[in-house]
Amino acid sequence: MVLIALFAPVLGTVDPGALSPMLRTRDPSAQFWFGTDIMGRDVYSRVLYGTRVSLVVGISVAVFASIGGLLVGIVAGFSRRADAIIMRLMDGLMAIPAILLAVALMALTRGSIGNVILAITIPEIPRVARLVRGVVLGLREQPYVDAAVAAGTRTPKILYMHILPNTFPHLIVQASYICASAMIAEAILSFIGAGTPPIVPSWGNIMAEGRALWQVKFYIVMFPAIFLSLTVLAVNLLGDGLRDSLDPRLAGRL
Amino acid sequence: MLAYVLRRLMATIPVMATVALFVFSLLYVAPGDPALVIAGDQATPAQIAHIRASLGLDRPFLIRFLEWVWQLVHLDLGNSIFTGLPVNRLIGERLEPTLSLMAVTLIFAISTAVPLGVVAASKAGTWIDRTIMMFAVFGFSVPIFVVGYLLAHVFALEFDWLPVQGYTSITKGLWSWLSHLILPSFSLGCVYVALITRVTRATMLEVLQQDYVRTARAKGVGQTRVLFVHALKNAAVPVVTVIGIGVALLIGGAVVTESVFALPGLGRLTVDAILRRDYPVIQGVILLFSSAYVLVNLGVDLVYTIVDPRIRY
Repeated sequence: MVLIALFAPVLGTVDPGALSPMLRTRDPSAQFWFGTDIMGRDVYSRVLYGTRVSLVVGISVAVFASIGGLLVGIVAGFSRRADAIIMRLMDGLMAIPAILLAVALMALTRGSIGNVILAITIPEIPRVARLVRGVVLGLREQPYVDAAVAAGTRTPKILYMHILPNTFPHLIVQASYICASAMIAEAILSFIGAGTPPIVPSWGNIMAEGRALWQVKFYIVMFPAIFLSLTVLAVNLLGDGLRDSLDPRLAGRL
Repeated sequence: MLAYVLRRLMATIPVMATVALFVFSLLYVAPGDPALVIAGDQATPAQIAHIRASLGLDRPFLIRFLEWVWQLVHLDLGNSIFTGLPVNRLIGERLEPTLSLMAVTLIFAISTAVPLGVVAASKAGTWIDRTIMMFAVFGFSVPIFVVGYLLAHVFALEFDWLPVQGYTSITKGLWSWLSHLILPSFSLGCVYVALITRVTRATMLEVLQQDYVRTARAKGVGQTRVLFVHALKNAAVPVVTVIGIGVALLIGGAVVTESVFALPGLGRLTVDAILRRDYPVIQGVILLFSSAYVLVNLGVDLVYTIVDPRIRY
C-alpha cells in the first residue's frame, strides 16, 4: 500500500481529475480497469490516489495523537494536582463518541486534509492519555524511579530518561490501532460529506460520489471499499503482531 | 446502593459540564453570524445590530453560556437555524428509527458475540478458534458502509429477499419493521460483535483456568453447563463493561448506517445538520448522544451487582 501511494502517478493510467463526459459510468474494461464514475473519471486512478490520502491521514493522526496523548498522560501521571483536572477534562471529551466529536469539529472548519487530521486526532488524544497515565502511574512506584529520586535526579530528567522509554511499547501498539481507525474515520467523514474536500480523490469521497449510483454501478463504491478494508486489515494485523512481539505475555490471548 | 447511584450521578456532573461547555463553544466559535443569516442580503447594519441584540448575541461568553445551560435544564435545546423548528421536536421525530436500529443491533450483537467468544475460548488454539478470531479481525477492519453496501447489494438487489433501503414504523407491523432493520443492524453490529467476541474470549480463557472450573468438571458437570453457567457468569464483568463502552461505536456507526440505508433517524439528522451548518441541531444531537452514553455506562456499573453479587456498593 505504501508503494501504491508513492507510485500512484506511475501506476495510474490517466489523470484522476481528467473528465471524459463521453465515457461516463462505463463498466470496468481494459481501458478503465475499474470503470469510470459519473463524471467520466477513471475510478482505478482515483482509487490509487486515494491511497495517499488515507495513509497520510492514518499515519499523521497516529503520530499526533500519540505525541499529544503522551504529553498529557505523562503530566497527569506524574503530577497529582494536574491529574484530577486533566482527567476530568479527558473524561468529558471521551463521553462524546469519537466520530461525532470529529464531525462537530469538521462542521466548524473548512474541509481540508489538515483539518480532517486535526478533527480525528483530538478525540483520540484522551484515549492515549489514559493509557500513558496508567503506565506512568505503574512506573512511578518502581524501585528504580525511587532510586533516581533519591539520587537527586530532577523530575524532567526522570521523565525523559526513566519513564518515557517504558511507555513506548504500549504507545507503538496503540498508535497502529489508531492509524487503522483513523483511516476508517477519514472515510466516514468524507462519506457523509464532512471530510476531505470533494476535489481530492479520497476513498470516502469516491464512495460518497458512487452512492447516488450504487444500485446500478456497484463497482464505483466497491473498489475503494475493498482497498480501504484491505489496508485497515493490514494495519490491524500489524498492530496485533507488534503487540505479541512487544508483550509476549499477551501473545495469543486477545 | 441508592447512595452509590446518587454518588455516581453526581460524578457525571463534571463530565456532562465539560461536554456542555465544549458543545456551547462549538456554537460560539462557529464561523458565520446567525444574525447575518437571519437578516438576509438586504439588511442594513442597524437591522443586523438589532437582530443581534434581540438574540442576545452581543453579550459576553460566560453569561450566554449560563443562560444556555439554564435553557438546557429546562430541556429547551433552542430552535434550528434552518427550519426554525424546535430542536426538541426535530429530535423527537427522528428518535424511533435510531432507537429501533440500536435495539435490534444490541440484541443481535450480544446474542452472537458472547457464544462465539465462549466457543473460541473453549476450543482455544484449534481451527475453530482461529476462524472465529479471523472473523473478529475482519469485523474490526471492514468499515460499516462497506459491509452495508455489500449486504444490500447481495441480499436486497441480487436475491431480493429484503428491502433495499428505508424504514417503516413498528406500528405498521412487526415483520416489515424488522425486515427494514436486519441489514442495517448487521452492518452496524459487525464491529461491535468483533469487539465483544474478543473480550469474551480473553476473559473466558482466564476463567477456564480457575480451580472451580476444574472442580465442576471433576464432579461431572457437562461441558455446555461448565462453559455457560460456571465460567461465563464469572467472566461477565469485563464483557458487560465492553458492551457499555462499545455503545459509543454504535452511536458513531448509526450516523453512517442511516446514510447507507436511508433510515430517517438521528444520524441522518446529524449529517443534514452538518451539511447545512445548523449548529443548534448539531449541539442537541451531540448532547443527547453523549448523555445517553454516560447513562448507559452508569447503568453498566449497576448491572455489575446483578451479574456478580460479590460486588457491593
